[in-house]
Amino acid sequence: MLFRSDFNKLDYVLFIAVIMVIAFGIVTIYSAGYDSVLGVNNNMYKRQIIWFVLGFSIMLGLTFLDYRIFGDYSLQIFGFVLVILILTSFFGPRIRNMRAWISFGAFSIQPSEFMKLATIIVLAKYLELRERDIYRFKELLVPTVIVLIPMLFIMKQPDFGTAMIFVPVLFAMLFAAGADVTHLVAIILIAVIGLFVPMSLTYYEWVNPESESILLKLYYNGGQLYLVSVVFFVIASVTFLLHLFRVNKYFRRIYIPSYVFSIGLFVSVFFQRYMKDYQKKRILVFLKPDLDPLGSGYNVIQSKIAIGSGGFFGKGFMEGTQTRLGFLPEKTSDFIVAVIAEEWGFVGAMFLLLALFTIVFRGLKISMYTKDKFGALLVIGISALFFVHFIINIGMVIGFMPVTGLPLTFVSYGGSNLLSAMMGVGLLLSVSMHRSSM
Amino acid sequence: MTHSSFRTKMVEAFRIRVLFCYAVVLFTLVVIVFQFINLQLVQGADYELKARTNMESFVPIVASRGEIFDRTFSTTNTNNRVIVSNRPSFNISTVPAKFNSKKEMQQALEKLSEIVDVDVNAVMKDYNASNPWQRVLVLEDVSFEKIVKIASHKQIYRNIDWEVAPVRVYNYGSMFSHIVGYIGSISKKEFLELRDQGYQYYQKLGKSGVERQYDRELRGVDGSVKRIVDVKNRTEGEEIGFQPVSGNNLVLTMDLEIQKAAYEAFEGFVGSCVVIKPATGEIVALVSRPGYDPNAIISRDNSDIIRKLYNDKERPFLNRVIQSKYPPASTFKLVTAIAALEEEKWEAERIVNCPGYFVLKGLRDTVIYDYAVFGNINLYEAIGKSASVYFYTMGHKIGPTTIMNYANHFGLSERSGIDLPGEVSGFVPSQKWKRKAFGEGWYDGDTVNLSIGQGFLAVTPISMANLVCAIVNNGIIYKPHVVKEIRSPDNNQVLKSIEPEKIREIPLSPSTLNVIKTGMRLSVKSGTSRRLSYLPVPFAGKTGTAQTRSVRDSKYTQHGWFVGYGPHGADPRDAYVIMVMVEYGIAGAATAVPVAEKVFSKMIEQGYFDVVQK
Repeated sequence: MLFRSDFNKLDYVLFIAVIMVIAFGIVTIYSAGYDSVLGVNNNMYKRQIIWFVLGFSIMLGLTFLDYRIFGDYSLQIFGFVLVILILTSFFGPRIRNMRAWISFGAFSIQPSEFMKLATIIVLAKYLELRERDIYRFKELLVPTVIVLIPMLFIMKQPDFGTAMIFVPVLFAMLFAAGADVTHLVAIILIAVIGLFVPMSLTYYEWVNPESESILLKLYYNGGQLYLVSVVFFVIASVTFLLHLFRVNKYFRRIYIPSYVFSIGLFVSVFFQRYMKDYQKKRILVFLKPDLDPLGSGYNVIQSKIAIGSGGFFGKGFMEGTQTRLGFLPEKTSDFIVAVIAEEWGFVGAMFLLLALFTIVFRGLKISMYTKDKFGALLVIGISALFFVHFIINIGMVIGFMPVTGLPLTFVSYGGSNLLSAMMGVGLLLSVSMHRSSM
Repeated sequence: MTHSSFRTKMVEAFRIRVLFCYAVVLFTLVVIVFQFINLQLVQGADYELKARTNMESFVPIVASRGEIFDRTFSTTNTNNRVIVSNRPSFNISTVPAKFNSKKEMQQALEKLSEIVDVDVNAVMKDYNASNPWQRVLVLEDVSFEKIVKIASHKQIYRNIDWEVAPVRVYNYGSMFSHIVGYIGSISKKEFLELRDQGYQYYQKLGKSGVERQYDRELRGVDGSVKRIVDVKNRTEGEEIGFQPVSGNNLVLTMDLEIQKAAYEAFEGFVGSCVVIKPATGEIVALVSRPGYDPNAIISRDNSDIIRKLYNDKERPFLNRVIQSKYPPASTFKLVTAIAALEEEKWEAERIVNCPGYFVLKGLRDTVIYDYAVFGNINLYEAIGKSASVYFYTMGHKIGPTTIMNYANHFGLSERSGIDLPGEVSGFVPSQKWKRKAFGEGWYDGDTVNLSIGQGFLAVTPISMANLVCAIVNNGIIYKPHVVKEIRSPDNNQVLKSIEPEKIREIPLSPSTLNVIKTGMRLSVKSGTSRRLSYLPVPFAGKTGTAQTRSVRDSKYTQHGWFVGYGPHGADPRDAYVIMVMVEYGIAGAATAVPVAEKVFSKMIEQGYFDVVQK
């Protein structure tokens, strides 16, 4: 029974929220695409409508298709999309210095957007199979590898922002699947130590180029720090072995922090010594845009002006001066929230936020009431994907997060993003319709 | 552990974790909402101002500068004499970005150069390629006819725009150069000084003369056009922000006809002349030659002209009436005589033998020669004939301090306060000064020199004119001024009328003044100024010939002076005072008096003395 129509089980709230958000996006793309000096529209909204129509039919199709079939073919889907992604990363046309698109005449597709869904599907399936063992640390390896493969090829394009999206999604799915929270926290700590230390050193060096701090010298000499790292690694390993032989159950309290410190330190020294200066600086600017006020800093300033000047009721449809006169950059894609906030004010911004977060909340609700693990994890993964996109994009537009160039799912202009998002919604709706409820 | 109990536990754990996710999502939503509240509701007004600053660009509309008329101005007169006016003119400009290519722009400019004088290469080189939306000035000061031609063929001259940009016109060129001055772009230094008073970096302001002195009246208040611009500085729309307020007009105390006569009388000479009405201080004519043409200075390619004027040895920018100092020579004998009479150290009837030389008694007698032998004469004749030996004797008797005091009383060592910029003060020596400057005392020889206006004394021509004003006006000197009234831009309203302002009131006895005036009258009747005697109005005067070093070739040379007034014996309210000073003149009588003659003749012709003649 592939197609079993049961409209009573359709999640109307989710469905309506998605349609409203996309419609709001198209209206805003229309407004932002109008050049008031020349009096013409760039007609991007028309393309977005075409993508929406396409996406809508696929979404409906997926809604009525039983999602379990994706679980059955998860590896095939993953492999297929991955091959296309790899081909694109190596042979795709160079557009804005990235090999991220493949073109079909007037339209082009960004495989990395579909890679996200495929990865979520395969992860959900894998974690379902490993449900009983996932609390073990070693069980985290395979999901990590699954995620790292597409990430590496997306970084190769290079599209750093999109690649990074996979990380929080993976964590959310591992968390939902029942991974040990200690493990997850430990990994996060290693990443923080490994990145934070070299980044702060780079920042310090950048700001005080003349300084001769002891820590910097240590890092550049490296030997001693490696030694410290190895010592802690040995301590950790010994206590871990003792733990395995059940000498004392409290050894866990020693070897986990030791591993975290040892590996974190190793990673940080490695980064500090082997990453090129410009690479470090690029990451630094990504994390702290006001270091480069003429670059991405300008965008955020203009974006805040657009949002703030919208006030309570906004300046009105097509009346946003920041938008209309081009002070707001990337107004149809990355900074579209600023357009909405400027033209529709606080009222419009709240409406958008509530609609967007309704999608996430509905996703969480569906997952909670889904009996089979694959369905629940699939929904968690997709909801996490939406959520991460939302907060990274909105956080950037309101000046809370670095400028990453990630679009606002459903709202920003961009065919592949809209299409893959609607496919995701199709899967959510399918789970809500076809699941065996608890 | 049974399978089902494990399932239940797993489901329970999953639920808890999803609930945790709920909490995380809810928390981020709250944080984001708070930031929207902060940006849009708390700081909304600030950001609105910033958005406005982004898009609003104010383009100034230059206010029309006030016009300047001569003293005959009347609202009922349709044919007023306009000394300075504005000529309607246009600037041609374009926006490079409107052309499809650089080549297309070049072609358009070349097409334009067929009818107006455009330097196509200069414009193409000048414009800022990085901001093609920035308007480029193609040509300044284009006539209305040319603009009509361009406007009627808009399809040929595409993307060529024009703006009204009036040009200042000095209708009488160099004739009024030292009175009206000229305008120029504000310099960085001037801007820093004046920006508190509302001056803007793009504005022009008066650089000298009345244009400078009355700049605040003349300039008006610039208006502005509020343009809505986009991020590339393209204009989306515009509206008038402020309407400009035209500058006020000025009516001068000067008479075009008299000025013209005085100016022309100086043709070929270097020097200055001023005609003042002593009863008010009004200046009827003021000439300083050589002058310059203000029109040339404000013209488009003025750098060569200005350089040439600056390098001119005869210093055409100098207003010799108020910015030069000379020994007053024999005209100063009036001061010596007044001092002697007022201090009752001398009587008008005292006879002095003037044999053509003066013997200064001392350890060794010094003989000072004069060019003429007058025999036994009294003070009247001495003034009339400018008998130096008489004044040597007088000066020697009354002493230097008395003379110096009177010179200072008359303001010869001070600025008059005339309403023109750059006035300098004259110099009256003192014993103390001489000791300081030369390290030696005041000699009798210095006194003798001083008594005939030579030696260390140096006075401005305006102060000599004021001296005569005091004589005519019973010791009262009014502040000399060239502006009579300030009128509203439509001329209908007098905003300010310049009232006579007493600057000096020297207590002089009528008998003293009578002696001096009689002596001066004698000069015209039968003395050094007798060239004026034929005129139908009784004039009086005093000549002078100053010996000084020439700036031309640093040889000793002579400057001719004449100070006088007329009509003699009439009510001081109807009198006019003249001062003529000719540099390198042979003698006052020979060069300065003819200038006075021409000016007085013109004044008679223009009816200045009608009251008296009837």
